[in-house]
Amino acid sequence: MFTQFFGNYLLHQQLVSPEHLSEVLQSMKTTRLKLGVLAINAGYMTAEQVEKAHTEQQRVDKRIGEVMVDMGFLTKDQVEELFKTQPSGHLLLGQALVDNGYMTNTQFEQALNSYKQENSISEADFNDNSDDAAAKLVKNFYNFNIGENSSYMTGYVSLLFKNLIRFIGDDFTPMDAKPVSGEISNCVVQRIAGGLSAITIIDADSNAMIEFASRFAKEELTADDEYTQACVSEFINLHNGLFAVNVSNETGVELKLEPQCYYDNMDISELKNACIIPVCFSFGTVNFIISL
Amino acid sequence: MSLKVMVCDDSMFVRKKMKDAVAAAGASEIIEAADGQQAIDKYKAEKPDLVFMDIIMPVKSGVEALTEIKAFDSNAKVVMASSVGTQENLKEAIMAGAYDFLQKPIANEDVAKIISKASQ
Repeated sequence: MFTQFFGNYLLHQQLVSPEHLSEVLQSMKTTRLKLGVLAINAGYMTAEQVEKAHTEQQRVDKRIGEVMVDMGFLTKDQVEELFKTQPSGHLLLGQALVDNGYMTNTQFEQALNSYKQENSISEADFNDNSDDAAAKLVKNFYNFNIGENSSYMTGYVSLLFKNLIRFIGDDFTPMDAKPVSGEISNCVVQRIAGGLSAITIIDADSNAMIEFASRFAKEELTADDEYTQACVSEFINLHNGLFAVNVSNETGVELKLEPQCYYDNMDISELKNACIIPVCFSFGTVNFIISL
Repeated sequence: MSLKVMVCDDSMFVRKKMKDAVAAAGASEIIEAADGQQAIDKYKAEKPDLVFMDIIMPVKSGVEALTEIKAFDSNAKVVMASSVGTQENLKEAIMAGAYDFLQKPIANEDVAKIISKASQ
């Protein structure tokens, strides 16, 4: 899950603007990882060495891996190992930013190293989606302060990100939480009763709703219709069900889920202990609104 | 295999997925219901051999529908399905006479196993 928060870290460090991040997230699908970014991430090369290798490649008719070996920056074994690396989200994001000219290899190297240091994470931790790692990251990042329900909120949001990775995809960046206000349109709502009273909402524009539903249903949907709403509703139902199981197992508190509803418009200004968590996917932003 | 199966869920997405899974497992006829009351009415009219019933539904919940169906036909085979797979929900479904319990998201293999068991 550290992968997903890397984009947010770049925003906080003002290394990338929200507009550029949004643009780059959309182009990530077609981004191909290059050897330089992989070598920087693995700690085999510095950004300066990568730049030198790229400059050299313009003068010789060789592949970049061969140039890097010839220049003594990498061994053949390291090149082979790097080419086998699975493309992680944070690397694809970095590559897309470099490809679009929004960041240099040096800036990427510095940002990646500071991010790893500040969060005490190793490369292996990047895709660690264990409950403890997720909860710790979410707690540190959002620092929810809504009294006795703060730990429920942390649990809810960390499970949400895990379920997004599981059911929708890992190409997203969680954004800062925002206070609720005004009206929203085109949203799916599920209330939770029993030992905890909560309202959970998914809100997005039509295009993001259709893509979100398509990914969840594993079908190519084209219209923001009743079927699309049913798919998004089922995602929130599954997520809330898993949350209810966790709460029951951990605290013995039993939750009751109510049937999901769809609203064209909904006033959310009166929701108590509520926040909006926008999640930027490559296809658009989906807002998760939680009131506990 | 001659097996009439009713799929009851308020989500048209889940009904579609369930119908596909039930058809792939060899059911000869499939009926749909979108809430607990429809499930009761259609059960009485159609007498399906097996029912897959969501718990969280409007109008009448799955457990309420199960209770009424069992009162009408004590041999009814009703499989309860829910995203909330807690011991509490499982116990409630069993106490109400459920034939089996499935946690969502429902795997096609689990549907096939239940259909195979019900047709024996």
